[in-house]
Amino acid sequence: MNMRFATRTFLSSFIPFAVLLAVSFWAIRASVMATVRDGLRTSVRDNQVALAREQARNEGRNRKLLEGIGENPSLKAGLQLLAAEGGTNELARNTVQDQLSEICDSLSFDFMMVSGVRGEPLAAVVRYAGGFAPVNFARLHPPEQGFFSADGTLYEVTSVPIREADSQVATLTVGGRFDISRFGVPAVLLQKDVVVAAQMRDLAPSQIEHALAACSPAADCDLRIQGQEYLSTPLGRPNGSGDESYTLRSLQNVDAASAPLQIVLRKLFLVAGFIALAAMLGISALSSRSIAQPLVDVVTHLRLSADTGELPEFPENRGGAQEIRDLTQGFNNAAKAVRESRERLTRAYVQFVGSLAQALDARDAYTAGHSRRVSEYSCAIAKAMNLAEEDMEIISVGALLHDLGKIGISDLVLQKPGRLTPEETELIQQHPVIGKRILENVQGLEAYLSIVELHHENLNGTGYPHGLKGEETPLYARIVKVADAYDAMTSDRPYRRGKSHAEAIAVLRSVSGSEMDPQVVEAFALLGDQRKQQVAFTGSQSLHSLSEAVQSEIDRPVPSAPAALEIVGREREAS
Amino acid sequence: MWIKLGSCVLAAAAVLAGADIHGTIIIDRKLSRHNVTASVGMYQRGVAVELRADAEADPLALERSHVAVYLEGGPKSPVTEIAKASIEQKDRRFVPDLVVIPAGATVSFPNFDPIFHNVFSLSKAKSFDLGNYREGQSRLVTFPVPGVVAVYCHLHSNMAASIVVAPSRWAVVVDRDGVFTLKDVPAGTYTVVAWHKTAGTFRKTVIIGEKQDAAVSFTLPYAEPTDASRVAHR
Repeated sequence: MNMRFATRTFLSSFIPFAVLLAVSFWAIRASVMATVRDGLRTSVRDNQVALAREQARNEGRNRKLLEGIGENPSLKAGLQLLAAEGGTNELARNTVQDQLSEICDSLSFDFMMVSGVRGEPLAAVVRYAGGFAPVNFARLHPPEQGFFSADGTLYEVTSVPIREADSQVATLTVGGRFDISRFGVPAVLLQKDVVVAAQMRDLAPSQIEHALAACSPAADCDLRIQGQEYLSTPLGRPNGSGDESYTLRSLQNVDAASAPLQIVLRKLFLVAGFIALAAMLGISALSSRSIAQPLVDVVTHLRLSADTGELPEFPENRGGAQEIRDLTQGFNNAAKAVRESRERLTRAYVQFVGSLAQALDARDAYTAGHSRRVSEYSCAIAKAMNLAEEDMEIISVGALLHDLGKIGISDLVLQKPGRLTPEETELIQQHPVIGKRILENVQGLEAYLSIVELHHENLNGTGYPHGLKGEETPLYARIVKVADAYDAMTSDRPYRRGKSHAEAIAVLRSVSGSEMDPQVVEAFALLGDQRKQQVAFTGSQSLHSLSEAVQSEIDRPVPSAPAALEIVGREREAS
Repeated sequence: MWIKLGSCVLAAAAVLAGADIHGTIIIDRKLSRHNVTASVGMYQRGVAVELRADAEADPLALERSHVAVYLEGGPKSPVTEIAKASIEQKDRRFVPDLVVIPAGATVSFPNFDPIFHNVFSLSKAKSFDLGNYREGQSRLVTFPVPGVVAVYCHLHSNMAASIVVAPSRWAVVVDRDGVFTLKDVPAGTYTVVAWHKTAGTFRKTVIIGEKQDAAVSFTLPYAEPTDASRVAHR
């Protein structure tokens, strides 16, 4: 994957930390939630236990009250009457039921029943809309204590004995309609695992039944309904048996009880988490930046080096990190080695060029030193014309090589005294093309090709090999042409003596505008006799010193070889 | 609700041809609470039983009609014919709940309720227990000794009635307007006694001349001077 170093650093520090942070926050939150829920569950359970105890105490109180009712003399008299008249006497039963109605009414009961010592029902009344009515008690079998249903109404009853002279003569069963909403906590009443009354309107009875099925009747129970956690505690003892067994349980939603706290906690953790994440983001960005920045600097530096071709050294102690220092050190060392090898290369190249020129000059004693002189003259002209240093370099080396093509021409033709036949002339005139062919395959000499190829073109198009006109010939070639012509004229030949400087300038001026570039000719003429000045620095025939002389001529600090290489490496506008 | 002294006719009354005592009872405040109990007899399942509806519009009239007035201190006059009164048991109440009878009179206690009642009394003047008896049955009790007899039912503690057994034959229950008349009282000095269950007994002396009516008035429950005030001749 192509990814920036800074990005990679950022991601590799941020992502693990973010994940770690998120996971730890989640774990802490879950643990806090669990703790809170446990605490709540405990308090809910305590509540329910207290409630159950309170209910038991209330039942005890109610029992005492009911025992007072059992002492009612009128009721006792009624029971005696009933006993005397026999259980089948309708009137006697009416009498007792009438008494029961009164008691029920004055004490706000909904159900009252007396049964004999053997448990046989004697009389019973229930409350109907606004009043009381006796019931067909034969089918009623209320428990001594607990719940039973009659005609679709659920009653909660308690029984007390009716005593006479320390012996129980009857049992009085008293009860009220069961109202589940009287409990302080949400409660549910089950009849043999079937919900008959529940305070939870949002829960379907079947759900409650299903969830409570796993609970032990007499123990606390944790259960889940609709994904919510509930706590169920038995309220009172289960009673009855078979189909008529009832169980009263509390059923409280622990999640709902802890919901407000949970919301607060969730908000708190969310805010804290986001703050921590943001902090992490900032820290990661900063650290990745501090790690990557020195590297980025190095990379920028290297890219600049690649763009410009220069290999400047890094300043010491950049970035501070040991690795970065090592890296820059290594780069500096490598750059130094490259520079040295470049220098060596340049030197070898210059030596090669010098060798070529020397080889050429050596063929003919009369033309000995011609290339060197043309180079010097050309350099002088270029300097006089205020050309750039790079241009002067090209001109200097190009001028050294300008007659290289003569290598490919027979000595017979080249050194023939006297006039040349047209064929021979044509042969001679091929030397720029030959020179170009020789050099064009050498890498690094591309810049000089135009000088070698075109230094015999005339301004008016009468030159060779292409007959280019005016500005079509590059300035380098035009300069070298003038210097070449001058040196040819001022050199001695076997068949003639060389012209004087003034004569040569005169000749040059005569063809200025037609063959020669007038500007170049004038610049050269203004320089005066170059030959007299040459002595001072052409004393040494060494090619190396020649090169140095060229360079000193153009006032360059020593050494400037890398610049030469640089020129070679670039695509210069040669024309 | 009215006293039924159906055959309270005295043979000697016409012979003596005494004067009348006219009187008024003034009661300025409520003296007792009357609980109206549900009527029995509706033992059909699902029928609502009406409870505690006090239909009495004028509570003071009710109080006035629960005052018994009789004479003390007159000449002894044997009861030649047995005076009879009746206290019914109806809708779990004694109706009436106050009767005034001369000593030696007999009271019947018929049960008109569809339930049993057990009428009894533990009073000094007469204690009795009639036992449980059913609808349509009745019991008779004779009261030879003057005094107040409180009558209850063993089965229904809210049932109560009072029987005032007067030492003379001049004994009435005041009407709702608070007016009473003791007729054909021979000349002599008497004590007029007014009795209310809660307020108690109030006495006033009255002197009766030949063919001279007297007037007496009681204000209950305040006690007043017991000297008689002569009433102007008609």
